Amino acid sequence: MAAMLWCSTSQGPIRSPEATPAAQCGPLRNWAGVRTVRCACKAISGLEVAVAATAAAASGEKGVGEKGLAERLRIGSLLPDGLSYKECFIIRCYEVGINKTATVETIANLLQEVGGSHAQSLGFSTDGFATTPTMRKLGLIWVTSRMHIEIYKYPAWGEVIEIETWCQSDGRMGTRRDWILWDLATGEVIGRATSKWVMMNEKTRKLQRVSDEVREEVFVHCPRTPRLAFPEENNGSLKKIPKLDDPAQYSRLGLVPRRADLDMNQHVNNVTYIGWVLESIPQEIIDTHELQTITLDYRRECQHDNIVDSLSSPEVSENGSTNGVVSSSPYVHDQELQQFLHFLRLSGSGLEINRGCTVWRKLAR
Amino acid sequence: MVASVAASAFFPAPSSSSIASCKASRSINESPESLSVRGIVAKPASSSGAVQVKAHAQAPPKVNGTKVSLKVESQINEEAPSAPRTFYNQLPDWSFLFAAVTTIFLAAEKQFTLVDWKPKRPDMLADAFGLGKIMQDGMVFRQNFSIRSYEIGADRTASIETLMNHLQETALNHVRSAGLMGAGFGSTPEMTKRNLIWVVTKMQVLVEQYPSWEDVVQVDTWVAPSGKNGMRRDWHVRDYRTGQTVLRATSVWVMINKQTRRLSKIPDEVRAEIGSYFMDHDPIIDDDGRKLSKLGDDNADYVRTGLNPRWGDLDVNQHVNNVKYIGWILESAPISILESHELAGITMEYRRECGKDSVLQSLAAISSDSCDHGSLDTGFDCQHLLRLESGAEILRARTEWRPKRAHVP
Repeated sequence: MAAMLWCSTSQGPIRSPEATPAAQCGPLRNWAGVRTVRCACKAISGLEVAVAATAAAASGEKGVGEKGLAERLRIGSLLPDGLSYKECFIIRCYEVGINKTATVETIANLLQEVGGSHAQSLGFSTDGFATTPTMRKLGLIWVTSRMHIEIYKYPAWGEVIEIETWCQSDGRMGTRRDWILWDLATGEVIGRATSKWVMMNEKTRKLQRVSDEVREEVFVHCPRTPRLAFPEENNGSLKKIPKLDDPAQYSRLGLVPRRADLDMNQHVNNVTYIGWVLESIPQEIIDTHELQTITLDYRRECQHDNIVDSLSSPEVSENGSTNGVVSSSPYVHDQELQQFLHFLRLSGSGLEINRGCTVWRKLAR
Repeated sequence: MVASVAASAFFPAPSSSSIASCKASRSINESPESLSVRGIVAKPASSSGAVQVKAHAQAPPKVNGTKVSLKVESQINEEAPSAPRTFYNQLPDWSFLFAAVTTIFLAAEKQFTLVDWKPKRPDMLADAFGLGKIMQDGMVFRQNFSIRSYEIGADRTASIETLMNHLQETALNHVRSAGLMGAGFGSTPEMTKRNLIWVVTKMQVLVEQYPSWEDVVQVDTWVAPSGKNGMRRDWHVRDYRTGQTVLRATSVWVMINKQTRRLSKIPDEVRAEIGSYFMDHDPIIDDDGRKLSKLGDDNADYVRTGLNPRWGDLDVNQHVNNVKYIGWILESAPISILESHELAGITMEYRRECGKDSVLQSLAAISSDSCDHGSLDTGFDCQHLLRLESGAEILRARTEWRPKRAHVP
């Protein structure tokens, strides 16, 4: 699915370079530099692109691109400074779980969706990997190395949430993507998330440093000064996750990827790991608590024919109690919190797939 | 996930020979009485308020992009005139929904008054938040969905589960927006008095083309009588842009007594409440009357065991959302079929539901009366069975497969 940008002069689509160029427009040139995309007809900024799409739609253009209808109907768009992207989502009935609120998997899916929409609005590839032209030339893709999600208030069926997302560099090795989630009705922040990404060669699966070329392509669209969803010191997203002590207190063995868990390359998608991590949480916690925070470090990928074990143990803090979670977040009030350490491993070899930590708050029933 | 909504709820239905009370049910034993929302009654005023809010929330889609304002659409109010503001509910235990809905109405009301929400693009109000609306004299409910990236399968098209989820959502929203949720669990007041609820027994879906990421589908749904004492809910899904049919689906519901699990006739009082919502419309899919046979270990070609529900599969009653069953049915189909063919249709007969602790088995057999499945140029049928390890049947199904067409990525 090629990124579709509108060229307002020819009223035809500009396709990103890897797709067949449309008849009227030449291939895109010059990704670096300012936020412009060049079409053989005309140079337009990313903002003009959005406006042109509206104008085209408003005047009832026929021959509107096949892909891009949802783009036009979408509520999401780049913010005026072009440095971040916002989109609204309504929670559907089948995205709600046992607590009558959206599941954390739903939230994670929406974070992924808005990240993909952001990438698409910038003209990155829409094959799910959000790669830049240079990366595609070199056969490189982004992979997640850490995901940290905090939810302060889960939305219910029919509620609308607004998510803003942006990306920026993260040291020399990778990038990060941050999100803030709001309840559209009340304007209150209901969650925050951050993730770290590294580049990997698609074939060899080896990690690669972010080259300056790629850096230019990506970071032209990112805030110049660091902007963090978690600006506070010692926040949860920075926590180092230790390896679980053996034996784990709770486990769920023999988890198997379903067809729906697999991406186009037969690898298990990121959100599935969240579900697996939660599988070993005991029923007593599931019945009485809701997930406030989840942090996952991705170590190894999982294929469609792997079998996975999910292990967890309550995390004991320094003062010995399992409740000793110090929350530095201004959003979290003092309340009874349960904390767990997690470990996902390949069933046969015991090799680590990922490790994580979750914090649960008591449900007000 | 939720809702064993409309399309998905069902109860441990007894064996096909007689719909007797099902004592062996392992399902809905928690009574809705335990939920605190029992006392809330949907007053007609609030129902119409809901409908009004809905009008606020969206505007009729205009393909040619003319501007649409956010003003109240008065015609929506007209569509819910003095007709009874009650409706039957297909789902057991809707008290949770009730609480959710009340919250939603209040929240939605706030949403559009407090927040100075201006659409970033004037032409895209169409179903801006996907709440949908009632069309055509209040009988047909329509809602649009854009296909999200995580709803795409390995072949870059929306999965059948995604499409079935949309059917669930529209059924629920239809009931909600028509202001038809009665007291208690969405059964009409007369049904509630008699402890009656709807359960789905059969579902049939025919898919003509699968949408891709960012396509928008438009789902229409309505209800009609089914025989003397049943109800049918049909759906027609189209590609919003081209108007071409994406899929057609039909489902059959029966009324049972919540306690005894016995089949019930529709009492006259209930018929008076809901009759006006029944459309006089032929089933959107003709029932060819083929029976779904029972598979066993001896006649199955493929068996997949050890299927476990995850937390995320469960609805508010901790029952597995029945759209997940389709995923399990397909788990036993060999990957070679899935790579070369696409699902053209599926017919399901619901027998029993399951919860978190169930361990399921999925059996599949290529139908002997369909074409040689070695020939990939043609379509063929499969029979399926989903059962517990104990042997108790959850679901029987038949799937129809056709060779994949090349589609534009």
